Amino acid sequence: MNTQQALEWIAEVFEEPAARVTASTERKAIAGWDSLGTLSLIAGLDEKFDIHLNEQEIEAMAQVDDILKVLRRHGALAEA
Amino acid sequence: MRFLLVDRLIELVPGDRVLAASTVPRDLELFADHFPGFPVMPGVLLTEMMGQAAAKCLDAQQLPRGKALLAKILSASFRDWVRPGAETTLRATITSNEARYATAECELEVGGKVVAQAKLMFTFMPIEQFAPGFRDAQLDAFLARGADA
Repeated sequence: MNTQQALEWIAEVFEEPAARVTASTERKAIAGWDSLGTLSLIAGLDEKFDIHLNEQEIEAMAQVDDILKVLRRHGALAEA
Repeated sequence: MRFLLVDRLIELVPGDRVLAASTVPRDLELFADHFPGFPVMPGVLLTEMMGQAAAKCLDAQQLPRGKALLAKILSASFRDWVRPGAETTLRATITSNEARYATAECELEVGGKVVAQAKLMFTFMPIEQFAPGFRDAQLDAFLARGADA
C-alpha cells in the first residue's frame, strides 16, 4: 500500500471525503475522528492489517500522519 | 412499547454465536403509521432485534469490559417484509471479539428464509458505568439453565 491508498483508507474509516484527508490533517479537523471514529480505526487496523494498537498508541494520535507512522512501523505502508 | 426484542434464547455459545427467536407483536402502535394499510416491521427494529441477540452473546462472556452496546451498523439489508405476527429466528456469529470492540454478522429469518442481514459493531461499557447492578434476567436464566444441564 502506498501513501495515497493509505490516506484513502483513513478517509473511509472516518467517513470523510478523501480530498480533506492529508498527512498533516489534525484530528480535530476530522469530524468523524471522535470516539466512534477511534473505535472504527482500531477495528480497521486490526481486521485489515492485523495491527493491534495499545492504549498509548491510540492516545498519542493527534494527526493523520500518526496513523501513517503506525502503518509504516508495522510494515503495512512503504517508507516515505 | 418495551424494548426487549428477543423473546427466547435457543442456543448460545458465549462470545461465539447465538440462536434466538422472537415473534413480532400484532398490536404495535407503530403499525398504524408504518404503513397505513400495509403494516411492516421497520428495518431499524429488525436491526435492533439482531443487535440485541448478538449483544447477549457477547454479554454472556461476563467480562470486565462490560455491557455490549451497538456502536455502528456496518451494513444492513432487508430482503422481504416482516409482517405483524411473524415468527422470526435470529442468528448472530461474532466475527471479531477484542477488548474495545466486537463485530457480528447477523441474520433474521422468517419461515426459514433470510429476510434481513446486518454486520454490526459493538463497543463495551463497564457495568458500574453503565448501570450499577444491571442484570439481563433473560440471559441469566438461560445461562443458569445451561449450568444446570
